[in-house]
Amino acid sequence: MRIEEHPILDFKRGKILNFTFNGEKLTGYEGESIAAALHAAGVKVLGESLNLHRPRGFYCAIGNCSSCLMVVNGVPNVKTCVTELKEGMVVQTQRGKGVLK
Amino acid sequence: MKNSADVVIIGGGISGCCIAYNLAKKGVKNVVVLDKSYICSGSTGACGAGVRMQWGTEMNCRIAKHSINFYEHANETLEYEGDVEFKQKGYLLIADTDKEIEQFKKNIEVQHKCGIPSRMVSLEEAKEIVPHLNTSILKGAAFCEKDGFLNPFLTTDAFYRAAKKLGATFYTFTEATGIKVENGKVKGVQTNKGFISTDIVVNAANGWSKEICAMAGIDIPVYSERHQILVTEPVEPMQDPMVMSFGLNLYVQQSPHGSFIMGRGDPNEPHDLRITSSWHFLEEMAKTIDKVLPAIGRLRVIRQWAGLYNMTPDRQPIYDKSAEAEGFYMAIGYSGHGFMFGPVTGTVISEMILGETPTIDVSVLNLARFKEGKLFLEPSVV
Repeated sequence: MRIEEHPILDFKRGKILNFTFNGEKLTGYEGESIAAALHAAGVKVLGESLNLHRPRGFYCAIGNCSSCLMVVNGVPNVKTCVTELKEGMVVQTQRGKGVLK
Repeated sequence: MKNSADVVIIGGGISGCCIAYNLAKKGVKNVVVLDKSYICSGSTGACGAGVRMQWGTEMNCRIAKHSINFYEHANETLEYEGDVEFKQKGYLLIADTDKEIEQFKKNIEVQHKCGIPSRMVSLEEAKEIVPHLNTSILKGAAFCEKDGFLNPFLTTDAFYRAAKKLGATFYTFTEATGIKVENGKVKGVQTNKGFISTDIVVNAANGWSKEICAMAGIDIPVYSERHQILVTEPVEPMQDPMVMSFGLNLYVQQSPHGSFIMGRGDPNEPHDLRITSSWHFLEEMAKTIDKVLPAIGRLRVIRQWAGLYNMTPDRQPIYDKSAEAEGFYMAIGYSGHGFMFGPVTGTVISEMILGETPTIDVSVLNLARFKEGKLFLEPSVV
């Protein structure tokens, strides 16, 4: 399922973009969020809980809940639900609280 | 509610709880602690949680050393079922002026006399201790590996529970509204829930100390001012010590949870009892941290809060009994370091009340020093 309407973000579908998720090559559209592209590609688990390591998926989708924090281009704690997808992005599942470099 | 007590302590922060614990431990049967809100609801619960031995005067070094020795064994001594989370990873004091470096050197001589393992460190070593430190703006640093920080809520809770177990009584949401003084002697405390007759009252109200003193007819030269703190989102552990600078005006620690807790002073802060949060602090704090520890500047701020510093003319506490109202004791005016002095406050005030020989001579911290012009000047305060 692809997100086409969003309460606060404007999803104007542009050209096809390439990115990787944990090394796997995926595609999304210019103008959508990283999480939206992952969701459309069938990726349902975006992160894990800190203490019990339970799966965490797409939840609030408006940048509030921290359920979708991922490592993007080496930067931890990126809110993928409100971060725009860019060509060549390296997206990784975050384990733990994130390592600040 | 009890209508009489041997001692009534006003204020349920680190000082009040620790004084209650020490009195109860020394066999005082009927100790009552009042707090107008909940335990740890005032300055203790809002503090930056650091404890350092890197002071510039011998007495403060001794007080801080005594406190740190206590905190090292606090869980066992207080038979606490939890953990006060004492993280003894040091304090890195950084300086950006030569003048401050000179002060550090002088301080370290004093500290060494007291057996405190502090030392000057080169900028290279400072960067090894805190890799994300921007040493290009610094001249040097001092480090003491035995300094650290601990959880103020859990620490106060440990004292509170230990005091309670020894028979002390705590009345929360109970506000002292008046102090009865007759013929120059304390007779009791009026609260919003009733009157407690007592011969001994301890003012441990920190931020509200002036108001409490006024209830006993005592005027003290202190004022309160807001000091703000913010906390960031958590990241994996990356900074062991508290990083602090007097000149650059900041202190920042990474809590065991992974979030960074940081604060700074504001010379233009009005003297009042507000504990609101301001945009101005958020901006100035962010600018400072971005300059000194740039990596942390990229973290999101989760929230900010404020607590009261109770300031005296020489920024040192008042540990004294009143000459005007017999039975009125003061453990106030910490000027921002009441939490780290906590264990000593409990010890010396209980000794003062019971007429015992003091463990540490704090007689220079008397109230009369302000009138007599004998200020106790400490060079290293934020």
